[in-house]
Amino acid sequence: MRNQIYILGKLMEIVIIFFVIMTVLFFLFRLSPGDPVSKVVDPMLTPEDTQYLIEQMGLDKPIWEQYMVYLKNCSTGNLGVSFHYGEPVFKIIKERLGWTILLFTSSTVLAALVGVFLGKISAWNKGSRLDNILSISALVCYTLFIPWFALLLLWIFGFKIGIFPLGGILSPELWVTNSSWFARGLDILHHMILPLITLFIINLGSYLLLMRSSMLGVLREDYIITARAKGLSEKVIRNKHAAKNAALPVVTSVGLSLAFSINGGALTEQIFTWPGIGRELIFAVSNNDYPLAQACFLLIALVVLLANFIVDMLYAYLDPRITH
Amino acid sequence: MGTSLKLRVRFCFNLLLLVIMLIAVAAFLSSCQKPRNPGLLNIGLPEEPRSLNLWLGTDANSRKILSQIYQPLYRRHPETLEIIPWLARENPVFDKKNLTYTVKLRDVKWSDGSDFTSEDVLFTKQMVFDFKIPRYYSKWNIIKKIEAPDAHTVVFHLKKPSAIFMSRVMTVPMVSKKEWGTIAKEALTKAKPLRSLQDYEIEKPLGTGPFVLSEYKKGSYIHMKKNPYFFGRGQKIGNHLLGPYVDSLLFRIYGTSDVAILALEKGDIDYYWGDIQPGYLKDLKELDSIDLYFNKKSALYFLGFNLRKPPFNDKLLRQAVAMVVNKEFILTRILQNFGTPMQSVIPSGNHFWFNPNVRKYEDGKTRDERIKSAYGLLKAAGYSWDTPPVSEDGKIVTPSDIRLPSGETMDDIVILTPPADYDPKRAFTGTMVQEWCRQIGLPAFSRPMAFNSLLDTVKGKHEFDAFILGYGKLNLDPDYLRSFFDSKNDKPRGWNMSGYHNLKFDKLARMQTTLIDEKKRKVVIWKMQEMILEDLPYLPLYNPYVIEAIFNERFDGWVSKVDGIGNIWSMCVVKPVDSLEE
Repeated sequence: MRNQIYILGKLMEIVIIFFVIMTVLFFLFRLSPGDPVSKVVDPMLTPEDTQYLIEQMGLDKPIWEQYMVYLKNCSTGNLGVSFHYGEPVFKIIKERLGWTILLFTSSTVLAALVGVFLGKISAWNKGSRLDNILSISALVCYTLFIPWFALLLLWIFGFKIGIFPLGGILSPELWVTNSSWFARGLDILHHMILPLITLFIINLGSYLLLMRSSMLGVLREDYIITARAKGLSEKVIRNKHAAKNAALPVVTSVGLSLAFSINGGALTEQIFTWPGIGRELIFAVSNNDYPLAQACFLLIALVVLLANFIVDMLYAYLDPRITH
Repeated sequence: MGTSLKLRVRFCFNLLLLVIMLIAVAAFLSSCQKPRNPGLLNIGLPEEPRSLNLWLGTDANSRKILSQIYQPLYRRHPETLEIIPWLARENPVFDKKNLTYTVKLRDVKWSDGSDFTSEDVLFTKQMVFDFKIPRYYSKWNIIKKIEAPDAHTVVFHLKKPSAIFMSRVMTVPMVSKKEWGTIAKEALTKAKPLRSLQDYEIEKPLGTGPFVLSEYKKGSYIHMKKNPYFFGRGQKIGNHLLGPYVDSLLFRIYGTSDVAILALEKGDIDYYWGDIQPGYLKDLKELDSIDLYFNKKSALYFLGFNLRKPPFNDKLLRQAVAMVVNKEFILTRILQNFGTPMQSVIPSGNHFWFNPNVRKYEDGKTRDERIKSAYGLLKAAGYSWDTPPVSEDGKIVTPSDIRLPSGETMDDIVILTPPADYDPKRAFTGTMVQEWCRQIGLPAFSRPMAFNSLLDTVKGKHEFDAFILGYGKLNLDPDYLRSFFDSKNDKPRGWNMSGYHNLKFDKLARMQTTLIDEKKRKVVIWKMQEMILEDLPYLPLYNPYVIEAIFNERFDGWVSKVDGIGNIWSMCVVKPVDSLEE
């Protein structure tokens, strides 16, 4: 019963926070300067044309009326039509989301797996040469400037050596012919490698450092001394007693990173011409494309809230005291 | 380090090596299977086109695609800039008495093989009127009615004589009744007809142009094939024997110009249809495989003043600022000589309408001479300084803040500019104008502002002192002077951003729209330019070149015109290099 109340309470929290986010988003965009047509510098567009366009977008109505329409649409799952593309927002997100998840989720998972493993080794060998090398490398990775690093990789491997394409998700000259699905799959993989390496290296540093620091904390715990006193092997102590407990904050971090991975990364997507959500989000915000920008943010908010909920549930499961 | 750990590390290292090898093999296999079609012209685009729906795709990148599909009755000659027949067979016959233009159409087919007829012209007009299509409706409104006596003749009846009829009505792309008839009918039943029309997804646009859409992979590429029914094939129009001589066009979308330029250098693309910044030129010039093109732009970059309030409601103060602004400096230092200083509000590349005899403000003079002239003008107008910019012995000194003729000190002047990441040229020009103003004691401050906010402040709220903005792609017809400076357009969201009111100018601006005789109209347009350069609501600053580059090993024959080589003429005449050699 207590667990059910706890879950219900958390769900209520999510609903309320989501509603607040929806409202804040709506008013935040309306408060920003300009409107979807204000950026058009075209003398052929008369003030009457501008006013007519605004009316057609429904932006001439009082803001409360717009807000009610927005709430009604959101509650029925209607995210509206993009002002910029003239396409349903749902369709645009659907097209972009797959590419973002493919790239960012795979890089997050890969980086987390390798980061946890290397962080564990680094902490276990604290003060050794290996620890120094790993820690310094992780710091370098963590502080890399994404655009610079991405462009450097493109320049070396895409331009100078020429073994990878200069961005994009596919080779058009291959796709416009009747190429096989296998060839197309291979082509996507080929295009994915450089952005994947970029994100992997950048994410790796943070996971490694997080795991190392968490593991160092755990290694000072009494139960590690107890395990040693019991005569357990070093391998068992490291992997079963220390690493498992140390991985808890990393799991939280990975969970949230996975949720945020649907947000993509505007810079990485821009440089690698990766048609994901991140690029679209920035574009929508800068062009006052309210429906698209709102929908992207709502999606991110929803996924992050759900990820938090799952993490809370996991914590409650792992540590029953929390439900009390 | 324990043995087991060493083994694990070694295992990981080996695994990493294996993954790298697999990647290398995949990369090799993938790059081996990409065929290179010799008739495929690869073009880089800086951004994704907004839409392939003609009524929504009004942005530059959509136009690049749609201009290959939808065609107008008349278009401009690439070299002479005259309006010449395109879908029309010949120049229209104007009946002065009845105010009619009779247009004869060529034998043209739509890309599905059906005939393009006068019915389609009537239908296009009906769409513009029914949906009040922005940009077109206000211009087409001068049409009283259109008749189609036969399938290849259209008669336009005008309400009044119109000088912009040819440039603004006849150059609008025609649409097919077959493609749009049902869509338009359905959209008109909706509460927001225009929005419904714009939101309609067009998968295979039906046009009369040299290319048809083959495939659009969003975020990646647009593939266009030769239109087998293109009316221009083998015809000599505008002194060019039209093809197209390539099999297809492949537009590839790039996220940044850095990557697009690398793709051009590597030969992945044959042409980058976007502006190249001067910073890239050093590398590009060193490559034999790259040809560079520098063309004038139909653009206007200017310093605008707010004439509605002090201090710039004083013409003499504006003229003094114009005297200290060094356009030569902007050209050589900021544009790095890739452009021209602007003398008038019509670019010099627009030969016919450009007036070279407008008032010039100390052009070619030294810094000291400029300051002295500005000082003399302001002093005579009653402005004063505790320490004037020119000392009693005629030396230039750092002045104190200027005092208005009333004796009060002048409030800070803010010059709004777009931010440097949006347009470094305008941002740096703002900083320089600030410094030049300070040389005569004006308390000027350049303030970069997000572009949306800048437009909102200047165009919507009119809360500013001065600003630097530009129009990157002006129509070649000078009627835009009316939009910019007619007092009727001094309203929120109106194009008269400076708040210029001059009844004589208004009269001329309205009169020129009715002058069909171009020579007479030119006299009026020249007079209008003289008035603007005398009153200075805008001080024209510069006009940058359009810098473009091509990879020259596969295709040649690009057609240069105002605004660059990216145009339909190029697409119709560019040939594979091999065929040129033969």
